[in-house]
Amino acid sequence: MLRDYLPVVLLAALAVAFAVASMTASRLLGPNRPDPVKLSAYECGNEPIRLPKGEKFGVKFYVVAMLFIIFDIETIFLFPWAVTFRTLGLFGLVEMAIFIGLVFVAYVYVWKKGGLDWAEGQGPASVREARAAAEADLGEAARAR
Amino acid sequence: MLPTPKLDFLPVLPELILAGAGIVTLLYEALAPRASRATHLGLSLVGLAAAAGASIALWDRTGDPTVLAGAIQADRLAVVARVIIISVAAVGLLLGTHYYDRSGDERRGEFYPLVLFATTGMTLIVAAADLIVVFLALEILSLSLYVLTGMSRRGQATEASMKYFLLGAFASAFFLYGVAMAYGATGTTKIAGIAHALAGQTGGQALALVALGFLAIGFGFKVSAVPFHMWTPDVYQGAPTPVTAFMAAATKVAAFGALIRVLDVSFQPLAWDWMPVIWALAAASVVVGSVLAIAQSDVKRMLAYSSIAHAGFVLTGLTAANQDGIRAALFYLIAYAMMTLGSFGVVMLVSVRGEERTSLASYSGLGRRQPLLAGLMALFMLSLAGIPPTAGFIAKVGVFGAAIRAGHWQLALVGVVSSVAAAFFYLRVVVLMYMQEPQGEEQEEDRSPLPRLALAVPAILTLVLGVFPQMLLGVLDKASVLRW
Amino acid sequence: MIRLPLVLVFSALLFSAGVYGVLARRNAVLVLMSIELMLNAVNVNLVGFSAALRSLTGQIFALFVIAVAAAEVGIGLAIVILLFRNRETINVDEVNLLKW
Repeated sequence: MLRDYLPVVLLAALAVAFAVASMTASRLLGPNRPDPVKLSAYECGNEPIRLPKGEKFGVKFYVVAMLFIIFDIETIFLFPWAVTFRTLGLFGLVEMAIFIGLVFVAYVYVWKKGGLDWAEGQGPASVREARAAAEADLGEAARAR
Repeated sequence: MLPTPKLDFLPVLPELILAGAGIVTLLYEALAPRASRATHLGLSLVGLAAAAGASIALWDRTGDPTVLAGAIQADRLAVVARVIIISVAAVGLLLGTHYYDRSGDERRGEFYPLVLFATTGMTLIVAAADLIVVFLALEILSLSLYVLTGMSRRGQATEASMKYFLLGAFASAFFLYGVAMAYGATGTTKIAGIAHALAGQTGGQALALVALGFLAIGFGFKVSAVPFHMWTPDVYQGAPTPVTAFMAAATKVAAFGALIRVLDVSFQPLAWDWMPVIWALAAASVVVGSVLAIAQSDVKRMLAYSSIAHAGFVLTGLTAANQDGIRAALFYLIAYAMMTLGSFGVVMLVSVRGEERTSLASYSGLGRRQPLLAGLMALFMLSLAGIPPTAGFIAKVGVFGAAIRAGHWQLALVGVVSSVAAAFFYLRVVVLMYMQEPQGEEQEEDRSPLPRLALAVPAILTLVLGVFPQMLLGVLDKASVLRW
Repeated sequence: MIRLPLVLVFSALLFSAGVYGVLARRNAVLVLMSIELMLNAVNVNLVGFSAALRSLTGQIFALFVIAVAAAEVGIGLAIVILLFRNRETINVDEVNLLKW
């Protein structure tokens, strides 16, 4: 029944109304005297060095995401079986064993082909690059000051 | 306890063997430190041979037309289509082994499991008796082919793979939407069940018609019928040539196998509604494919457009919506698979290392440089053009005859006129090979025997089916009876 | 109980949004996401029909669709990575070695 969702809708409407009302009130009632310090972004007391906009993630993240999606979604077939596994009995168990065996084959392949190695050397290359870039920026900022 | 479903795995034994072979080669590639192409090839060919044997053993099977809770069809159409697909895969593997041996590329051991998985999907889709299985099989074969398309260092291959993937996934979504609509209209996803439900309904078939439309879009993409053909030239050109050979020949057989079931079983009660749609697709494919092929200067692109035209010819046969049409379409598919496989095989051997020589100009004077290859190419070109005494001629006569007997003589006329136009660009290749001087400096020629041996299969079949078509027609008479 | 036509209209809108995304977006990853949207529209349809028809097939099918969609994303991401390594771009308009 749609009626059952009425409380949820009411709550959501209330929340939105409260937020809008309090922001409008502070805009209208409070004093507004901007200066550069107040307008600057606040990051733990430091000047933000650079904006993360447009930065690229290392390709490694995509590989991990890809593998995660695939192996994660495979569990979807375990749920219906888990719900009815007593009624399915041995037949269901054998089916599932075959299924998991197949997933395991894929896992062995990924493992042996190096899909799970994060990076050669110490630590992820992308993190090292990001750190180097940040340090360079810090140095520049210090010199400028 | 639920009753354990009655399990008869024999009708899916070919698929189980193929998938098993795929897994074995995959593990071999992963676990053997120095996996060799020869071992890969051996393992794969054993798997293919066993699967072919298991398919042929199903020919005389009696009993339930469907098994595994109505998921798999055990009829002779499935047997014939499987045997064609498996043979194409075997030749494709031989060509591919040679290709990667020559290209000096990385090992590319994944070629073998991927071809085997794609073959599994293709044989499964022609035996599917449930739209869920059709969808799963379609995805198995498509996903494998997307990766296979990109299996080369050339940037073109990656790009082709990307295009194929995006458009293929797009088409799959349309197909799936159609399946959902068919389920909504009839309450079942079983191919035969849909037919029963539709036959029982009177009026109010809007949902079923929507379903039919979306399914037509999905299949149109897979068989590359106009106007869903845009990906074909790019993908066929960009993919490694042995992959193109396998894909062009086998995918069409598989997709048409499933299309025949969906049209002539599920939607048989609505035959008068889908006939004009298929009619229009057929006419557009035949005309557009033939005309655009004339303008191509790259052999692979030219063959891609020609494959679009051939999809139109098969659809011409299907407009008959009866056993006559199915038989003609099956014969056409077999002939098409053989001549396409063969011509792409020759293209691969002519282009030596990598993909340098796929322009039409590199065929000038081939008759003098490489008489055997030129002879094979001439045979396949004549067959594609539909000139007797080749399989292509008999196949064309078959589909046009079926269309005319069903009252679609206008479509047959369009087909004949287009064939005449198409003969121009096929014969141009023959003229180039035999009547022109070789151009450019002498280049290294590829003279290895193994791929030539592999090409003997399609060449012999193209000739034999052209001269003695009765041999196959008797078999197809029995195979084109759909049991459900 | 939510009425079936409502579900169908919602799913049709979702599907159309996906189609629009595929045709309008230039970033391959966004095109991929639009395709996922289309597949999920189908799932909504399947589950809606399944409830309306009181048949389980639709829900089972939806499970398969989810799994296949994940496999598709996996392959898609892999191809995007490959393309990025080769061409330094994932803009589908700049992918033009082959004539469209």
